[in-house]
Amino acid sequence: MAKYGMVIDLQKCAGCAACSIACKNENNVPDGIFWSHYITETRGEFPKITYTYISTLCNHCDVAPCVDACPVDPKAMYKQDDGITMHDEDSCIGCRACENACPYGVIYYNERGVAPFENWQSGEAAALTEKVGGTVIPYYNPDRAITYAGIRRENKVEKCTFCDHRVINGESPYCVVACPADARIFGDLDDPNSEISQLLSSNDSTVLLPEAGTQPNVYYIHRFDVKE
Amino acid sequence: VEMPQEVQGLAAGEWVPSGCLGCTSWCAKEVFVVDGRAIKIRANAGSKVHGGNDCPRAHLAIQQVYDPDRIKQPMKRTNPRKGLDEDPQFVPISWDEAMDMLADKVMELRENDETHKFVLFRGRYTNINDLFYSSLPKIIGSPNNISHSSICAEAEKFGPYYTQGYWNYRDYDVANTRYMICWGVDPLCSNRQVSHYLNAFGGMLKNGVRIATVDPKYSNTAAKSEVWMPVKPGQDGALATAMAHVILSEGLWSREFVGDFTDGSNHFIPGQDANEADFEEIYSHGVVKWWNLELKDRTPEWAEEVCGVDADTIRKVAVDFASEAPHVMVFMGGGSNMQVRGAYNSMAVHALNGLVGAAENKGGTITGRSARLGSLPKPDDYMDEMATTNSKQKKIDQRGYLEFPALKDGKSGGGVVTNRVADAILMEDPYLPKVGIGYFCNFNYSCPEASRWHEAMSKLEFYAHCVTHYSEMSHFADLLLPSTHHMFEQMSSAAQKGNSFTHLWIGGRAIDPVYDVKNPESEVPWMLAEKMAERGFSNLMDFLKEFKDPETGQAPGNGIELETNAFKILTEPIWNPDAYVEAGNHGDSFDAWEAFLAKGIWNSDEYEFKKLWGKMPTATEKFEFYSETLKEALEGHAEKHGVTADDVLEACKYGESKGERAFVPHYTPPFMHGSEQEYPFAFIDCKSHMAREGRSSNCSWFQEFKDVDAGDMKWGDCIKLNPADAAALGLEDGELVRVVSPTGEAVTTLKTWSALRPGTASKTYGQGHWAMGHVAAEDFVGRKSRGANNNDFMTADYERLSGSTAFYGSFRVRIEKV
Repeated sequence: MAKYGMVIDLQKCAGCAACSIACKNENNVPDGIFWSHYITETRGEFPKITYTYISTLCNHCDVAPCVDACPVDPKAMYKQDDGITMHDEDSCIGCRACENACPYGVIYYNERGVAPFENWQSGEAAALTEKVGGTVIPYYNPDRAITYAGIRRENKVEKCTFCDHRVINGESPYCVVACPADARIFGDLDDPNSEISQLLSSNDSTVLLPEAGTQPNVYYIHRFDVKE
Repeated sequence: VEMPQEVQGLAAGEWVPSGCLGCTSWCAKEVFVVDGRAIKIRANAGSKVHGGNDCPRAHLAIQQVYDPDRIKQPMKRTNPRKGLDEDPQFVPISWDEAMDMLADKVMELRENDETHKFVLFRGRYTNINDLFYSSLPKIIGSPNNISHSSICAEAEKFGPYYTQGYWNYRDYDVANTRYMICWGVDPLCSNRQVSHYLNAFGGMLKNGVRIATVDPKYSNTAAKSEVWMPVKPGQDGALATAMAHVILSEGLWSREFVGDFTDGSNHFIPGQDANEADFEEIYSHGVVKWWNLELKDRTPEWAEEVCGVDADTIRKVAVDFASEAPHVMVFMGGGSNMQVRGAYNSMAVHALNGLVGAAENKGGTITGRSARLGSLPKPDDYMDEMATTNSKQKKIDQRGYLEFPALKDGKSGGGVVTNRVADAILMEDPYLPKVGIGYFCNFNYSCPEASRWHEAMSKLEFYAHCVTHYSEMSHFADLLLPSTHHMFEQMSSAAQKGNSFTHLWIGGRAIDPVYDVKNPESEVPWMLAEKMAERGFSNLMDFLKEFKDPETGQAPGNGIELETNAFKILTEPIWNPDAYVEAGNHGDSFDAWEAFLAKGIWNSDEYEFKKLWGKMPTATEKFEFYSETLKEALEGHAEKHGVTADDVLEACKYGESKGERAFVPHYTPPFMHGSEQEYPFAFIDCKSHMAREGRSSNCSWFQEFKDVDAGDMKWGDCIKLNPADAAALGLEDGELVRVVSPTGEAVTTLKTWSALRPGTASKTYGQGHWAMGHVAAEDFVGRKSRGANNNDFMTADYERLSGSTAFYGSFRVRIEKV
């Protein structure tokens, strides 16, 4: 069984957010929720300025605080054998313990009593979806429903799954495909010959919040701003 | 490896070729269609320009086509009063009624022999636009086809034209470059071939290519640069001439391209004239004149004071750049030249490419190779006497007036002065147009001092607007003719260059039109032709019937057949092997129309470096540092008006550019609207990563990721100041402020951003829509905008030699508490 992880090459990353938009597209992610996102920071005093853009997503941690925190039995937030931290939307009770436990802020909650994609639920918007044959949204991607709720319900959390529905079909996560800079490398950390393993063995890498002890599986190499 | 049991496969769909006109990159795309629904976009990997690389904003097109705020059927205005505060009271009508109304108005012009009062406004377009944009007005009898070109980048083309005879955007051979200067451009965000550069930069950095960025704003490109030179807004000319000074005085110019002093020593001694007779020039013209007239005193120390970049940095970048030459480039965007006094900056910045032999060279700035395409039918035989006579009337944009030379391709009045049309209408000079059609354009939003357009469009007797969304310009229309989306609902094609290739993409109708919408470039003229024929004027229909299917010889029977035939005629030398040979084409060839359409992409052969050396289309056939070409053009324009070239320059706000200096790239202080005392901040207008040319802000993904523009905010709009400046004004991050210029004001949110030079204020273009829809506007029904549009406070002014509208380096503002 593979153990999946990702390397993000910050030197290649151009800070364009194509990954994050493509993720919304692939996973039918509503407004206000970000499975793929970024942390940006402008440092220094004019004119000695640097800017960094760090792409973020679920780190699929080996020691996953979200899984520990999930009170449901069996757990709604759980680790798959392939290392993916997965979520069972059906058994999720919306307690948000995982969201609170995650040090990275990458788990999002669909408010109780508010239908996801609420503005698509009525009027001309709903008529459009019906006319073109979508589900809730006209550009609904049916692939997402292969392994997970196609669109998550109210009072449920949701987060990045490394596009597990694509991975089991032999495809890379959609952010990897959509990245114009080839900055994202996805693969098997347990395979020493995989591109990701090779990159990690030949480059210094960092993870976010190493002190949190979560043992993340999303690694960063190089620097975004060449002046850093 | 253990395989999971019975995994459900991914959706069966089809990737259908298409292309994107969301910015001027014009990338080849594919649309993923599942059960008749378009759900994803990706690059057409067959393009040699960008390969499989995408950009962020291409994806937004999905939210544009499936937008419940689109105009769903034709609408007519029922409130005859026009104005910003008038509710047009649009009501739905049929296409039949809509086209009756339009045809009646056009026929009225013909009955009154005033067909020149017809105007066609064009914004974005596809390859067949000549049919609608160029031929239709001529057949009706009007000279007035007005494009958006001069609110885009004409000043950017001015420098390359008046040095090397090329009035177009350049391509940049980044794959082979050693040193890149990005000047007034952020290729990772805007300008051209963004998808290509988003990919290429990583490889360049890995290969040790050095990048320097000249831009008043910090950008992702600046982050990827070893040097950021935050030039003061409008002072690019000082920096460029100082760099040229260093390159010559340090002896770093290209001996191969420019030549050398006959005695082999360097006589470019700061502060001293050199002797022209001592220099043997090869592929360039006038380098010694340039030195003597302008450069000899332009030391980095002089420039430091003027442009705000320290002398050591200027010297270092000039030396590093020239030392890596000739496989280096200055990538010039609009920032340095779409300024009131930007023409000479454009020349000075581009001339650096000439000095080091990078123009038309490997790893340098190149001009690209176009496909040889077929010709659409010409209108001439269908222009009756009235049309022939009236189409010779003056165009309504005042091009060619003394103060608007618009010297495109060297001709007085050769180019468009788009933004001047509003004033021309208000002044009724040369005359007041009466009936207009506009498509894929929104000048009431995209042109500085937009309020003039509100007044001007209110004055137009009848206006039909072809757009996908209700936009600011639609508010003043009599008819709304809803348009197909170019990526999905119609056939489209466009060509663009990048990566030293040119591609031409084509895409058919990938999905059924979502609403009752029509292609403005083919279906609308067809329906208008039908209606005019019913009224006894069949010339337009007779002309359209000439668009015969090249394979069957069949004339089109409807607008969609016209659409297909036009693209087939245009691209025949690509897909028809006989026509390919006859046209002497290069690059990919196909054996049938269907084969071309199925692949959706044509690639040129690779660019041939140095081919134009000694054969530049200038007056001297050389790269002109002393522009004989500009001398001819300026003197020609002066003669037409019975004045001198100096008088022309005075009228064009270049009062300090006189005599011989007018023919060399030179420094002139920027013309700024607003005094420093009253308006303390030099304004920097920026482009957004998310903007599909001002049309994507009704996509929620635009709003969700708006903060990818550094320092900006999601679902909002802001003006940015250096924290020290904000503190001095007693303003806090996040509070609402009023931005005031000499001609307008707007309210937006203040954000502090340490990357800004004190004394400058920066704001990204793209928000501030009060139209477009419920996402773009804060209150769509109440016409309340989300934030502010830069064009609400930027003054309408021009780089007049090119006809361009000024967007940069020409404006000052003050910021007040609300």
